[in-house]
Amino acid sequence: MLDTILAILHMCIFPGGVFALAVALFFKALDRRIAARVQRRVGPPLIQPVLDIAKLLTKETLIPRTAHRAAFIMAPVLAFTGMAVCAAFIPVPGVYSGLTNMGDLLVILYLLPIPAIALMLGAAASSNTFSSVGFSREMLMTLAYELPLIMILLAVAMLVGKETGVGAEFSLANILSYQAANGSLGFHPVMLPAFVAYMIFLPGTMGVAPFDIPEAEQEVLEGPLLEYGGPLLALYQIGSALKTFVVLGLGVALFFPGTLCDFWPVNLVWFVVKCFLLMLVTLTVVKAATGRFRIDQAFWFYIKFPAVLALISLVLVWWL
Amino acid sequence: MAGFLKVLLRNVLQGPSTDPYPLGPTFSPDSIRGKVVVDPTMCIGCGMCVHVCTAGAINIQHNENGHVITIYRNSCCLCANCHLYCPTGAITLTDDWHSAHEQAVKYQQIEQQHIDYEPCLGCGTPVRVMPLALVSKLYAGKPDVDPEHVRHLCPRCRQMEDAVRTYNLQHPEAPASGNDEA
Amino acid sequence: MSNLLNKLSVRSPWLFRINAGSCNGCDVELATTALIPRFDVERFGCRYCGSPRHADVVLITGPVTLKMRDKVLKLWDEIPNPKVTVAVGICPISGGVFRDSYSLAEPLDHLIPVDVNVPGCPPRPQAILEGVVLAKKIWMRKLGIEEG
Repeated sequence: MLDTILAILHMCIFPGGVFALAVALFFKALDRRIAARVQRRVGPPLIQPVLDIAKLLTKETLIPRTAHRAAFIMAPVLAFTGMAVCAAFIPVPGVYSGLTNMGDLLVILYLLPIPAIALMLGAAASSNTFSSVGFSREMLMTLAYELPLIMILLAVAMLVGKETGVGAEFSLANILSYQAANGSLGFHPVMLPAFVAYMIFLPGTMGVAPFDIPEAEQEVLEGPLLEYGGPLLALYQIGSALKTFVVLGLGVALFFPGTLCDFWPVNLVWFVVKCFLLMLVTLTVVKAATGRFRIDQAFWFYIKFPAVLALISLVLVWWL
Repeated sequence: MAGFLKVLLRNVLQGPSTDPYPLGPTFSPDSIRGKVVVDPTMCIGCGMCVHVCTAGAINIQHNENGHVITIYRNSCCLCANCHLYCPTGAITLTDDWHSAHEQAVKYQQIEQQHIDYEPCLGCGTPVRVMPLALVSKLYAGKPDVDPEHVRHLCPRCRQMEDAVRTYNLQHPEAPASGNDEA
Repeated sequence: MSNLLNKLSVRSPWLFRINAGSCNGCDVELATTALIPRFDVERFGCRYCGSPRHADVVLITGPVTLKMRDKVLKLWDEIPNPKVTVAVGICPISGGVFRDSYSLAEPLDHLIPVDVNVPGCPPRPQAILEGVVLAKKIWMRKLGIEEG
């Protein structure tokens, strides 16, 4: 009983829910601000993501007459809850070690595509031509970036499992303790290709330029999000913000979980700073400097580079 | 590959190049074409601006005691043809580009000037008083002409005056002989 | 609570543009306000959105041609309330240089309630920014908040 309550608290307050949302919205504001700065603009105020969500809550909700009502409303809720649960599985090194200590990497692997699937569900339910185009693009993108992700996680699990002698280690807590003892995986020469692959995976899964093809506003009028407005769109935005936290936190936990000292607030801040640096390199700078791929280019890009890099890591782990 | 990073870094170091407007001051280029204004002392109601206006935004209404020139700013396409073709230079385009306004005041966005006629000093018919600048241009080399007097004459009376002055006639009230001589 | 939300909401006006048969002059100026660092419309929390469902401030350019009339009306109806309509350029306001053409419908404010006019052919980017700021004021009035 106590475990259940604790798990729900972890999902709602820390590190999922409130904490993740606060960090993610702050990151989003910084992201927009820095992207503006590198383009010699001023950019929006730091409170802007909160204002956007407040604005969306005051707008009226329009549901198309031809839409499947239940699925249309369910999809954003699914995206939000899926990510709120997933955030509870992200360990904060030195502060919080994850919801369970066995097999949570697999759970994260299952929960991560939920926003994309919810987006596809909503797009299919909204009965709009442009949404359908966005739906098919989103599906192709998901296929493209899930393949490297699976191989990256497998490479990490196999490396740690081989060293500790259990075959494949799918527990994030054990991966963290292994890294605490033997140094971060990001500095491990074998894992370097996998880390680069993870960095390329990030903009794809977050749907930012140059991989914002499903939500391309000039081509398909924001694709799957086309028919959404008001509070439902706000839910999507919150879900997407939580996903930023999840993928960045997962990257930090997998590759650079080092802690500074035993004092937990310092570790917490250090974790947030590392997440921010990862976002700066992989999302903000790339977003500010690039245009948009075509969908076939993006698909083959993911098959050619991150998948091959992750495969190299996987094969090296297997052999060495 | 590193080229774009160099550009980004340079941009960060240089800082934003954003104009502070509308939170702060902005600039107006010298040649900007803003709201149209009519100088009521110069407009002679010839109608050239109405003829050349691309958007049909100018209207001149004549009546017996004067004329009214109206420019609808919400139709004006700022081409400045009126400024170019105006014979007296009465129409100018200012550098005031603050054109945004609410719907409630949409139909007040006009430039309107009433030009009243005054009775001719010679015959008494209502006449557009000639702009002083125009008179001094017309009678540039004639110091003996009183511009203030001449500009209050109707064209016919002015012709008389000119004829009398040119041929040193004594009686302006005898137009027949003057015309014959001319 | 809802009053607070309303007060916060006006600081995030998302822009949507409808081209009702424009010559693209005004559209270029709208793109300029968004993309050129000098005018950076994102400072006010604005964002050009691709979908009418996300819009708060709708910018309409172009004289409303007969072919576009029904589409403009349909698109305008798709935008959730509260919304503010801004007519950009002289064409939607009066017909501009195309006035009295056989292919034009009526001026925009005969079809839908327009809130702000930004005349010009095209208006300066700064004038469009002025119009957006004015639209924010009108949005506050529509929500019943006194200006401050």
